[in-house]
Amino acid sequence: MKHRVRIPSPLRSYTAGAAQVSAEGETLDDLLAALERAHPGMRFRMIDEQQRIRPHMRIFINTHEAGTLASALAPGDEVHLICALSGG
Amino acid sequence: MLSAAERARYDRHLLLPEFGAAGQERLKSARVLIVGAGGLGSPAGLYLAAAGIGTLGLIDHDRVELSNLQRQVLFASDEIGAPKAGTARRRLLALNPEISVHAHEFKLRAANAAELLANYDLVVDGSDRLATRYLVNDACVLLGKPLVSAAIHRFEGQAISYAPERAPCYRCLFPEVSEQVVPNCAEAGVLGVLPGVMGSLQALEAIKILAGIGTPLFGRLLTFDALAMSWQEFHFTRREDCAVCGAHASIRTLRDSAGAELDNSSSAIEALQPRELQARQQRAAIDGAAPTLVDVRQPHEFALSHLPAARNIPLPDLERRLPEIPLHFPVVFICRSGARSLAAAKLAEHAGMGAIAHLEGGMLAWAAELAPAMRIAPPD
Repeated sequence: MKHRVRIPSPLRSYTAGAAQVSAEGETLDDLLAALERAHPGMRFRMIDEQQRIRPHMRIFINTHEAGTLASALAPGDEVHLICALSGG
Repeated sequence: MLSAAERARYDRHLLLPEFGAAGQERLKSARVLIVGAGGLGSPAGLYLAAAGIGTLGLIDHDRVELSNLQRQVLFASDEIGAPKAGTARRRLLALNPEISVHAHEFKLRAANAAELLANYDLVVDGSDRLATRYLVNDACVLLGKPLVSAAIHRFEGQAISYAPERAPCYRCLFPEVSEQVVPNCAEAGVLGVLPGVMGSLQALEAIKILAGIGTPLFGRLLTFDALAMSWQEFHFTRREDCAVCGAHASIRTLRDSAGAELDNSSSAIEALQPRELQARQQRAAIDGAAPTLVDVRQPHEFALSHLPAARNIPLPDLERRLPEIPLHFPVVFICRSGARSLAAAKLAEHAGMGAIAHLEGGMLAWAAELAPAMRIAPPD
């Protein structure tokens, strides 16, 4: 099951500048593993060693926050990776 | 009561049935503090002044620089070097002499935030540092003030609004963020119009909250992608474990985070000892924020020995080749003894880069402390 994934600009160095990629997964964890295979190093920028979403990252499935990495993905779900920005 | 001059000035507001004289009176009696007279604070300040916010405050301790003028539309070319807050005050009063504007030309800190915010009803955060964002958020939560917060990066913008009892706060969205992992505009660049869009949006949100109209961005993160020209909205809720607004909040008084001590207006070049640099590289393997090592020695010196991850950009070429240095992570300049690396760091700082360090004592110190077998080439 392929999903559209929106990449925040601070992580686009991993996707050759692409703002959007697609990745497969039945759960958020599966999808992040697929992203890691396609874009090595990217998962660690989002998920720490304790398998927690890093505090400067939020992951939304469609318009609602994904509670855990076990969150299930339904066909057509879009995954949005959001990174805190500091510029003013 | 609105005067005849005010009725004429705000005529287009008064024509709006949802807003009318009652809405305008609310704006007139409102006191709004803008944190940061920068890319976001400029349009926010101009629109809030034009809209007739009775009392506006601007806090910014910086001076106008040439590189600000690409986006900070409060300022003019002949104001380079002038204090931002005072200059902005004159500009806003010229736009609307009916209002009061206060210039606060100092740095917002835990020690002065509560006293300053007590004089205002709502805060617009347009600061450019995460440490300030957290301080402003915490102050608003603890003092019960509504907050309109926005941030920008390259071609992307984000905005949320907070109000006590009505919305989750910034920490509910991003509990704690290290300055090192989030690049700012000075490091990563920003399209000049982008803060114009997001700062105007902040003014609009502030007016809506003060006038009591519409649906503010409470519990909603609004994102803007300028390249795709698309807006998206995400819902987030209060975290039970939020350190400042959660049920068992640990933040009861304001505090400066470590990053708040770094002052953009004076030199923030860090001098790293060899062991500090080594520790930072080891830590980078864990948190992913590897510093970029730039060795500014001549190619023949670099060829004999260098640190494994370092790239070679000789000092005479540095200014021309600055764009080659990735901006997302801290940069550490390295040379033989520490003199050229400091010059390189100053050059990079002058060019507007942030998070700059150099290896004190250079490769000679590194070899002496950590790699006795390493041979270091003489400069000539």
